[in-house]
Amino acid sequence: MSERSTAGEAAEPSTESVNPVRVDRPDETADDYTTTELLAVAAAREIDDGETAFIGVGMSLMSGILAKHTHAPDCQLVTESGYIGSVPPGVVQSISDTILGVDALVATDQCEIFIDNQRGAFDVGIIGAGQIDSRGNTNSTAVIGDATYDRPKVRLPGSGGSNDIMTSCGRTVVMMRQQRRAFTTEVDYVTAPGHLDHSGRREELGFVGGGPAAVVTDMAVFGFDDDGEMLLETTHPGVSVDDVRDEVQWDLRVADDVRTTPEPTRGEVAMLRAIDPADVVLRGTDYVYEVGFEEWSNTVLDHWEQLRTVQNETDD
Amino acid sequence: MTHAIDARETPDRRAGIGDETTDREKVTDLVSAIETYVTDGSSIAFGGMGGRDPEAAAREIVRQGTTGLTVLDDARTTLLDIMVGAGCVDEYVGSWVGTSLISQGHNIRNAVENGVPHHLEMRDVSNFGSSLMFLAGAMDLPFVPTRSMLETDIPEYNDDLEVIEDPLGSGDPLVLVPPARPDVAIIHVQRCDPMGNAQILGNVVNDHLKARAAEHTIVTCEELVSTDEIRRQPELTRIPFYTVDAVAEVPFGSHPWHCYGQYYADLPFYREYGLRSQDREEFLEWLEEWIRPHDEYLEKVGADRLETLEHMERTINGAGSAEGADE
Repeated sequence: MSERSTAGEAAEPSTESVNPVRVDRPDETADDYTTTELLAVAAAREIDDGETAFIGVGMSLMSGILAKHTHAPDCQLVTESGYIGSVPPGVVQSISDTILGVDALVATDQCEIFIDNQRGAFDVGIIGAGQIDSRGNTNSTAVIGDATYDRPKVRLPGSGGSNDIMTSCGRTVVMMRQQRRAFTTEVDYVTAPGHLDHSGRREELGFVGGGPAAVVTDMAVFGFDDDGEMLLETTHPGVSVDDVRDEVQWDLRVADDVRTTPEPTRGEVAMLRAIDPADVVLRGTDYVYEVGFEEWSNTVLDHWEQLRTVQNETDD
Repeated sequence: MTHAIDARETPDRRAGIGDETTDREKVTDLVSAIETYVTDGSSIAFGGMGGRDPEAAAREIVRQGTTGLTVLDDARTTLLDIMVGAGCVDEYVGSWVGTSLISQGHNIRNAVENGVPHHLEMRDVSNFGSSLMFLAGAMDLPFVPTRSMLETDIPEYNDDLEVIEDPLGSGDPLVLVPPARPDVAIIHVQRCDPMGNAQILGNVVNDHLKARAAEHTIVTCEELVSTDEIRRQPELTRIPFYTVDAVAEVPFGSHPWHCYGQYYADLPFYREYGLRSQDREEFLEWLEEWIRPHDEYLEKVGADRLETLEHMERTINGAGSAEGADE
């Protein structure tokens, strides 16, 4: 646990040149981006340079890789399957995707990763969830509704590492879709512990992790106040505070100076598209694009080549 | 793994002859290994995790029509979804189910929510919880404590977990995770020798613990190598011979998933699975099409396609074997 976080001193969302894929005017605001891309960029900016970041599957891996390839080249990515310090040249399809082995510092086992996590070795974690309440308690196990845990209305994938990350990571970022049914007064099942029922409860339990620090959605970015209540901090371009309130079940606390979330730059958007050439993540689940095996493999190989070339140049 | 380590079986280093002969009987084929160790009602732990999963072994279980299985697990993807849809599994204990980041586990949802083809009982733990249940099993302990899962609904709904106060006086609450002791662990690795020394390249997930926690362990491997070959890089051996009962060479045994250093994941293949498994009829057609002996399965995937996947993996991770790591 030698290298500790430089969190807090690290920069605001990057303003220096972020241009690994050589686009023109990389620092200018992108004129064409989707809300999902904005979500991915906003979450990536939660990782500060030099931090050790524990990331899960899907969007959180996208954001981690984006951070590594843009404003936080010295962050180290950790995945629960056993890789530490990976420099993946593209989107990660699963938690043991072999591209996590590319230039990794460590390939070990899951137990060891979570031993380090429980001891407090990791600065920031990024997780997803199906439901969240005002204190950041999340549900990724089951939407029970009027039914039961055994036969729920919707069976979600389960905790994965999200419980362990939220318990023990320095701070945790939750990525979600902003929907009224998901931002609920009471989650159906607490999978991962937020700020629990009162401020200070986490310390009483002996948790080393600070719990949820930010919630990043396709409409807004939230922090948490001293009471452990979710606080609206920025809304995305074109989204009003009332729009966000409409998608939250409880009486939402709003910061005095709600600003607009900084838009993605041309460089960041180009990088995202290079990371995910087949649009696996950004186009959503169950999206099956209509190309054959050969076109898929050629596309992926081309993009790996592109990203590896860039990496090799910047490394040396 | 309950076998005591028998010193008499320790190979004679000087001669090298003991290596190859003592445990020859462990080498078998996939069909026989599954027939011998996986029967109706068995509990199973599968290795890998969205990478190096023993997919061929799971398809063989489906092909043999085994039912009433309990899967003791960490996170599980396509192979569980296929087995659940085919009606093989009654209960799942683990931390995460899906098919990949691009698709939900449609069969798993259908079984849990609607009882199709029959109800699947779920018993949730966190990921660390799953590691620790195999650790407790491997250590032959009644429990291992952790801070994970405290103050959440995971212990509320999983009666196997117990919350206590530290008996040594710190006052900290702790979750006790009881052991998982699967009847059989099935682990796919890059290389293994006839003794059962299994070498894993890349990440290990919980495979070293699963092999030790299980009553019996089947290792399927990309390549059956000599014991001399194993001795050249002993640091790669994560599963030792005394935990292993059967060794079967099963090339492309993880397809459509990745196998580090060997082949990349066949994304279009499981993407198609994700699409077709949304509909019960289409899923049954998929089963009809793809559940077949492994050599026929590979033939159907196609040699060119498999070669492309190997080429993709070589492109990012250089070597095709342990010693060629510097490309």
